Amino acid sequence: MNTKEFDVIIIGGGITGAGTQRDCAMRGLRTLLIERSDIATGATGRNHGLLHSGARYAVNDPESAAECIRENKILRQIAAQCIEPTDGLFITLPEDDPDYQKVFVEACRRAGIDAEVIDPALARRLEPSVNPALTGAVRVPDGSVDPFRLCAANMLDAKLHGGQVRLQTEVTGFIREGDTVRGVHTRNIRTGQEEDFYAPVTVNACGIWGQHIARLAGVEIGMFPSKGALLIFAHRINNMVINRCRKPSNADILVPGDTVCVIGTTSTRIPFEECDRVAVTPGEVDLLITEGAKLSPALFSTRILRAYAGVRPLVSADDDPSGRNISRGIVCLDHESRDGLRGFITITGGKLMTYRLMAEMATDTVCHKLGVDKSCSTAVTPLPGLEEPASEKGALICECENVTAGKVAHAIDQLEVSTLTDLRRRTRVGMGTCQGGLCACRAADRLAQANACAERERNDLADFMQERWKGNFPIGWGDMLREAEYTQWVYKHVLGL
Amino acid sequence: MKYQETTRSTHNFEECMKCTVCTVYCPVLQVNPLYPGPKQAGPDGERLRLKDPFFFNYALKYCMNCKRCEVACPSGVGVADLIQSARIRYDKTPPKLRDRILASTDFMGSLARPFAPVVNVVTGLGVTKSVLDATLKIDHRRSFPKYSGRSFEAWLRRREKEQAAFPEQVAYFHGCYVNYNYPQLGKDLVRVLNALGVGVQLLDKEKCCGIALITNGMSKQATRHARHNVAVLRKAVVDGGLKVVTTSSSCAMTLRNEYPALLGVDNGDVRDAVTIATRFVFEKLEKGARLRFKPGYHKKVAYHVPCHMERMGWGVFSEKLLRMIPGVEFTLLDSGCCGIAGTYGFKKENYEASQAVGEALFNRIRSVNPEVVACDCETCKWQIEMSTDYSVMNPISILAEAIDI
Amino acid sequence: MRFDSVIIGGGLAGLTAGISLQEEGRSTAIVSTGQNALHFFSGCFESLQEPPQRMQDLFAGAGVRLHYREGVRLMPLGTFRPAALALADIDLVPVPHFADKVLIVGFAGFQDFFPAFLADGLAREGMQCRTVQLELPELERLRLSPSEMRSVQIARTLDRIWGKVIREVKHLLREEDAVVLPQVFGLQDPSVPEYIRQGLPVRVVFTGTLPPSVPGIRTQLLLKRRYEALGGTYLAGDEVVTAHIHGDVVHGIATRNLDSHCLEAGHFLLASGSYFSKGLKSTPFDIAEPVFGLDVVHADDRNAWYDTDFFADQPYMQFGVKTDTALHPLRDGQPLTNLYAIGSVLGATRPEFGFGAGLAVRSAFAAVDQILESL
Repeated sequence: MNTKEFDVIIIGGGITGAGTQRDCAMRGLRTLLIERSDIATGATGRNHGLLHSGARYAVNDPESAAECIRENKILRQIAAQCIEPTDGLFITLPEDDPDYQKVFVEACRRAGIDAEVIDPALARRLEPSVNPALTGAVRVPDGSVDPFRLCAANMLDAKLHGGQVRLQTEVTGFIREGDTVRGVHTRNIRTGQEEDFYAPVTVNACGIWGQHIARLAGVEIGMFPSKGALLIFAHRINNMVINRCRKPSNADILVPGDTVCVIGTTSTRIPFEECDRVAVTPGEVDLLITEGAKLSPALFSTRILRAYAGVRPLVSADDDPSGRNISRGIVCLDHESRDGLRGFITITGGKLMTYRLMAEMATDTVCHKLGVDKSCSTAVTPLPGLEEPASEKGALICECENVTAGKVAHAIDQLEVSTLTDLRRRTRVGMGTCQGGLCACRAADRLAQANACAERERNDLADFMQERWKGNFPIGWGDMLREAEYTQWVYKHVLGL
Repeated sequence: MKYQETTRSTHNFEECMKCTVCTVYCPVLQVNPLYPGPKQAGPDGERLRLKDPFFFNYALKYCMNCKRCEVACPSGVGVADLIQSARIRYDKTPPKLRDRILASTDFMGSLARPFAPVVNVVTGLGVTKSVLDATLKIDHRRSFPKYSGRSFEAWLRRREKEQAAFPEQVAYFHGCYVNYNYPQLGKDLVRVLNALGVGVQLLDKEKCCGIALITNGMSKQATRHARHNVAVLRKAVVDGGLKVVTTSSSCAMTLRNEYPALLGVDNGDVRDAVTIATRFVFEKLEKGARLRFKPGYHKKVAYHVPCHMERMGWGVFSEKLLRMIPGVEFTLLDSGCCGIAGTYGFKKENYEASQAVGEALFNRIRSVNPEVVACDCETCKWQIEMSTDYSVMNPISILAEAIDI
Repeated sequence: MRFDSVIIGGGLAGLTAGISLQEEGRSTAIVSTGQNALHFFSGCFESLQEPPQRMQDLFAGAGVRLHYREGVRLMPLGTFRPAALALADIDLVPVPHFADKVLIVGFAGFQDFFPAFLADGLAREGMQCRTVQLELPELERLRLSPSEMRSVQIARTLDRIWGKVIREVKHLLREEDAVVLPQVFGLQDPSVPEYIRQGLPVRVVFTGTLPPSVPGIRTQLLLKRRYEALGGTYLAGDEVVTAHIHGDVVHGIATRNLDSHCLEAGHFLLASGSYFSKGLKSTPFDIAEPVFGLDVVHADDRNAWYDTDFFADQPYMQFGVKTDTALHPLRDGQPLTNLYAIGSVLGATRPEFGFGAGLAVRSAFAAVDQILESL
């Protein structure tokens, strides 16, 4: 266990890193994954949670569309436990170009996407929340996917194949011998402990933060940070994904996911320095509601739970200021051929949908470098089911999301939880209507007992409430403001935090 | 309208602030730990059920539909409506024979009435109670409402002409209880209204309001009753220009609120015309009508606001009316459920819970020690009379007793 | 229906005004949209720094005992806060170090009380702590429900078996000189906390739980009972839908339950609370007072409603209805002369009255005095 020598080190605990680790591990490599924070904290956890059919890219980016539908079919086979096969609609509204539907359906067929034109009346029946004014509808095999579970399942499978994972561990520098990367210097965020790890190949799978990691290694990649804002509505309005049948634009996808639904996104280029602290502006909120309400008028008058934003890890290609026309295609850089730096590759671009393909490409490169001749089997091997607590019984910690004490105890014992936010990702604690009002202090009490450190936990609780508030105040009106007033009263004046 | 100016959700479930106030006032929770509670069963559950009907909880049947949660909710959430409509939508288990019998108050009434003397003796026999307990799970400790030999409808029909002579007219939704069990209350109402110069008409064949059908999982039959009743109300209200009074708070609430909220039956054109008799009388007196009272009348009255009266917010009318009667010494009982909740307390599995819920009210009545308990609900009457030594009268009956004609 | 005064809102401000007016022989009605902030009351009147005799008398009349002692109190997450005026069962200690050894007693399965945080907080003040979870068979049945082992349900049970709690805690005591217990005593019977204190040989400190607040609900029950015993009409679960205003005078209000039946009065008091109670209503574009359409002091720019720091004083909490010196709210800049705004619907626009429970009581008295003077 204590070995510091590996065949490959993967930096980044998002879906790309997790997928790459799984693929490498399944091909027999000794792997280590290093993540500075928690699983799925970057773009992986900050998107729609949409299982793309690829239809959205069909007209503008046929290559991505074809990739999407292939991966869509694969994920349905290997990751059924993370997917809800809801299907999706592409609706045409009176103000949309009526000819676009034909172009769209043609492009879908070329990409291999099963796109069926249906009668608007049927669309209204299938999805009662859809804008009743629609003049056309196309049914496609969209769905929703739980990115956190998908990411965790990949990591679990990697572990089952001998992989190791270090969370809360930051890469502080590279161990270089001349023009070869031999390993990494790391520091544990919590304990401050420094450690070095060695491997002949290191994979940079850090999404937008890959630019920083590459720079640490002494090479430059021009990332194109593109912010996408989304809104979470407080309950499920729709049971099918609803898209707009037009050229991709703002707020034209509404995805049902678990107890909520999500509208997004926007696309704004932001300076690289802002990647760690993206905030949703009132202008973005207004735009998401008004445009979203065209997909489903209910959004006009449905309570909103949170606003959040992610940063797409696009790679600069041209001078498009919005970033929308940049290919979402996969970029796999072998820095040996590109920059003359051996033992270091970067896998970036792409999207949640194509993570497995990205991982396959990265692993092929790794294997090539190591001289390993094993082919990829991730597309045909189902992911393991996530461990669930033996008993679902017990008192509810989180009443909104139905999270039991048993589930929380299991997560704390087995799933590497060090903060309430980690616990939230694994159990949905605090993700419901009250946004932690009832459950955050209960869960904090469990963590304080488990870690025997109440003082640290009190700070963690304060951080958690702050993190919840960050997503609440941009939509702070109506019931959300009432809820915030209540929660702030309870935490400050009743509990004395 | 600008976006997000108001938000909408089924029975306002999204307005729930998770403040847990409803759980404080739920009488079932106080006695039955198997019940998930109004918050979990109502707004929390609704959100989960939208995701997956798997989250439907069969313990929702423990809800008595007393609506105390809705009165307590600071946010205006239709908590009990959410629970009852979830049962209607998701609970596909057919109701038991026992529940069907208890729920069919009008059918049972029409069967039992002709044989009332026999039925009353038989249902009062220990052996019958044991048999009902063993076969149907109707608790043997429960006393049964007596059936009357002659229906109220028959009584009033014979007085149609006499009633039609009054200058002002109302229609009376008497309900099953007045018709089959206790016509005297209907006669008391006629006496009071006549004294005010108001004649009383029957509706064109009312059916049971259906509240017992709703709570016993027979929403289809309840909906049929609702459609029928709204049609006959319409005839009286829209065509006849009449107000409709009831003497039962539960009938009034069902006709006004439950039809649209739970059964989806639109009553918009008749709702405002349906009122409870005490309100009707109070408003007449407030507008200057006069009643003559018996000199020297005295009665110590403790008024219990039934749950559904509390939900409608109309207890104030009965209270003010009773306080107006010269010689009435009035005490308002702390509002709390008596535990019977219609047919709920009749069921063997609920007997203990039902009595435990009512305990606070029974103790309060004993400490006030009134001559009579006033109450606008017939099932509260059965429960209080069975559980204490006090008799219960509808405020209208007290008024009928106090006036001098 | 006609009253001398009609009060909109049945929380602390509304009940204080209602009881005061009834005590002076005025007929009043309270329209209450569901239950109120007393259900989340910490038990401490935070912004009242002096002991107001009038308030103590009013509460005593209802059977609510208060005490005044400048000091600090132990908060549920183990911190200490300065405090002075509180319900009698809320402990105010002169300094945080109130004992040398403390026994913290929780109840098995009760999640809304936080012994680990309390122990940490007390240890920081140099106190030695031991934590036990009491298992009472009478409470076990509550644990059958996954969500309903709440303070109030526990209090209902313990109100009957408090003697047993005393015996059990006595057994557990070793050399501790203080016991910390959750505030789950005396829901119906306000004397239970005192029985516990007298029954144990060491200092007893009752500490808050997550809402619902047992001392707060008890206070609400007692105040409402007092109000009704004085002849007040409490319309529970109703809501004002329209107000009839002529010129600068409110003539009546219509409610959802009473529909066409108007409530008329000489004076009206608006004690409808802030956002939570819907006394103030916010949309993405505006913050408004929904009953009378009163002027509200607030920032126009939504960005200026919030502080990004959760723990900072939030600007939106400062907003409230605009009033003249006599607490008459303004409507289009003009005061409504028989309407008074009291309690948290004022936000922080009248800092002289304080905030929270202090604001509720003080502004209620101020309005009542004017009504009584105006005859």
